[in-house]
Amino acid sequence: MLSLGLTACLPNEKQDAKVVINKNPYPSTYQALPSESTLLTNATILTGTGERINNGDILLVNGKVTQVGNNLSVEQATVIDMKGKWITPGIIDVHSHLGVYPNPEVESHSDGNEMTSPNTSEVWAEHSVWPQDPAFQAARAGGITSLQILPGSANLFGGRGVTLRNVPSETMQGMKFSGAPYGLKMACGENPKRVYGSRKVLPSTRMGNVAGYRSAWLAATEYKRDWDKYDSDYSAGKNPDAPKRDLALDTLMGVLDGEILIHNHCYKAEEMAVMIDLGNEFNYHSGTFHHAIEGYKVADLLAANGNCAAMWPDWWGFKMEAYDMVEENVAIVDAVKNSCAVVHSDSATTIQRLNQEAAKVMYRANENGFALKEEDAIKWITANAAKSLGINDEVGSLEAGKNADVVVWNMNPFSVYAQAEQVFIDGAKVYDRFDDKYQAKSDFLLGQQLDNHVSKVVTQLEKKSATNPATHPAIKPANKK
Amino acid sequence: MKNTQLLTSLRYVLLGALTVTTSVVQAESIAITNATVYTVAKKGVLFQATVMVDEGKITAVYGKDEVPESLSADTIIDAKERILTPGFIATHNLLGLVEVGAVSDTRDSSDKDADITFDASLAFNPKSTLIAYARKGGITSSLVMPYGGEDVITGQSFVVNLSGDFDSVIMPQNAVIVSLGASGKGSRATKLQTLSNELEDAQKALAKAEKVKASSKKEKEEKEAETPSRSELVLNELLSGDKPLIAYADRATDILALLKLKQKFNLNLILAGASDAVLVSDEIAKANVVVMMSAIDNLPSSFDSLHNSLTNVAKLTDAGVKVIISNSGESYNINQLRFDAGVAVANGVAATTALAAVTANVADSFNLNSGRIAVGKNADLVLWSSDPFEISTKVDAMWINGQAMSLKSRQDALRQRYIVETDMPRAYTK
Repeated sequence: MLSLGLTACLPNEKQDAKVVINKNPYPSTYQALPSESTLLTNATILTGTGERINNGDILLVNGKVTQVGNNLSVEQATVIDMKGKWITPGIIDVHSHLGVYPNPEVESHSDGNEMTSPNTSEVWAEHSVWPQDPAFQAARAGGITSLQILPGSANLFGGRGVTLRNVPSETMQGMKFSGAPYGLKMACGENPKRVYGSRKVLPSTRMGNVAGYRSAWLAATEYKRDWDKYDSDYSAGKNPDAPKRDLALDTLMGVLDGEILIHNHCYKAEEMAVMIDLGNEFNYHSGTFHHAIEGYKVADLLAANGNCAAMWPDWWGFKMEAYDMVEENVAIVDAVKNSCAVVHSDSATTIQRLNQEAAKVMYRANENGFALKEEDAIKWITANAAKSLGINDEVGSLEAGKNADVVVWNMNPFSVYAQAEQVFIDGAKVYDRFDDKYQAKSDFLLGQQLDNHVSKVVTQLEKKSATNPATHPAIKPANKK
Repeated sequence: MKNTQLLTSLRYVLLGALTVTTSVVQAESIAITNATVYTVAKKGVLFQATVMVDEGKITAVYGKDEVPESLSADTIIDAKERILTPGFIATHNLLGLVEVGAVSDTRDSSDKDADITFDASLAFNPKSTLIAYARKGGITSSLVMPYGGEDVITGQSFVVNLSGDFDSVIMPQNAVIVSLGASGKGSRATKLQTLSNELEDAQKALAKAEKVKASSKKEKEEKEAETPSRSELVLNELLSGDKPLIAYADRATDILALLKLKQKFNLNLILAGASDAVLVSDEIAKANVVVMMSAIDNLPSSFDSLHNSLTNVAKLTDAGVKVIISNSGESYNINQLRFDAGVAVANGVAATTALAAVTANVADSFNLNSGRIAVGKNADLVLWSSDPFEISTKVDAMWINGQAMSLKSRQDALRQRYIVETDMPRAYTK
């Protein structure tokens, strides 16, 4: 191709090797854990597609869901009777800081917020992830199978987030969700203006925030133009100079190219509207609004523009932008056609009970005129979350062909008493509430609470001599009662 | 060490699955037979000896031919001529006060307001992961020495055993620590003056109180309202010689100044650090002062420490100074105390002298009922696979107060996790 181009266009000019940006320099090494074909039968199945199947069966083969329905009958699968149990897709949290703000919460571990400049688009959360954060295990026991790790919200542009499979691994790459798009964390409102305002650096106001975004997108637009021109000139057989690489602008260009999704910390209705316009101004999609406490005020706008909104049921009051909370927020956003309502955690404890978070919304909304069912509400923490992260082709619902990410609950997961009993990722059991073999333990916790004393340690050490007379014949074992 | 060849050829391996009990101490009687016992006591080194333990104490130490006709024990251990020593006593560390140095929440070793009354033993954590690891070096107890505030007197040391139990603190507030020498700000003279003045004031106050005691009843009543402060009470303990004073000092001039203070105020002085003590070893020996020092510091780390040398322990002991070998500062590797003792031996110290420097000398200096294998002493014992100071040697068994201790640490759990065969992620291996 190259030589053809050369001959055809500029026979006298030799092209340098083409400069190409490696968009995946830290590739996933995730591999599914060992699994066997499994048929789970007689459960109440919430598929994540809005459907509920009573006395349902689900077949997991080679890491995929192959059938969901009633009275399935297959050979060559381990059949497990799940009578009385409920089955849902694996739970997905779109907003987590596990690994970057791990437990224990000590200064050495504070790796989630590069608070050194209003625009740190060049940082990637994946480079801060500590895979041994014990909270990953706790989240798995709560049914979390995938989660997006985001940088914090001090900056207008906080950096890239990464989507992980919630499997134990020694490396971030071993957890990385292969093929999941990167997310770019942006932050509206009070945080950036407070952090930089106190340093007498732009932004110190909301208008400063927006000026900061616009300057950055202007630069990104020019950067993209330079690269596009380089690519087209090169394709035309010329030998152009490649633009100078800029890590921050690489990320923003990824958004302009539609490869990186925006995840925007943005609480207030009017600010979400501004951010939507900002996306339109610079020709990118404004993605998912996180902590959208005032989402209910602009539910129509969000749906019309194709934005997901990730929300808590009831966090509120800790700052002005969190003041207008309603517990039905998620339900109101969800009620609009083409909406994408998500329940998220932003918390190492709440992530362990996202089912309860969804339940709070469902019951409060139903008390106030909605008619939501479990099969509706489960979508907020499964299918809609997968859509927000751009992984809904693979996970988020129990349908033939999807990855077999499955949670078996001991009862209706919308009960406060519900417990995840078994969790499968890609058809492999990764957690079993009743089997220690499937309960991972972080290296950090390993050996933290050893027993100090042993009995008979020396007897074991000297097993042989115990059966022989002691060296000194005068010494006899004491008579035991 | 005649049996070294035989001992190393035998493989004594602690089995993976150890039976584990609760932390309730069982009053088990033990007979350790056929041991090479370094008593660090009058009996010296005994071969094919037997040590009897009951109720946490050593009840008998028998040489080869001294065992009575009839004896019994709940557990009999054939030591197979391996070496049994008293448990080593670490000094000069922050064990149980600091878990991770760079994590401020886990540091309880100092306080800007610390003064002579600072009792860091209240912060001691017997569940620290450093403790189980330290046991792997044959350490059964430790003199923990916090560093304090801005005062010249920085607080008090305390003694713990390494059982990991909640009652590990054996002696709280057992010695007063002062820190002398070079000062980043100001002059070292101020510290010496302050110390001297405080002792002098306390002495005067004591004399005054004595006077009142001897005076008429009415005056006595008037004076009774003046009860001594907490710090005065501690100073009085120092002046009576009841409580040791551990003084960090390196430069010879500071050491000499301390020896003068000892003489003037009748202090029970122990020198710590003491890099340049070799310059005044005769004076130290004459004053009968114990020196607590590193056996491996040999770099001129400061202008106060120009005489650091691997031969310092040998030089001091040759001069008649009683030395305590301590590894310095941090607590992460106090298990390596035995190697430091080995380095001292390699540089001219007799093995038995080095052993005393990590056992009996510490016990004697701080009134601990351990550090020797003798009747009535705490059964803090270590059975070694071979020469305790040698790197190839490991601890085969340990008892603290007669209770067999686990020799497993968090590090063992981690290593084991990563070397076993598994097709599951390592996190499932426990």
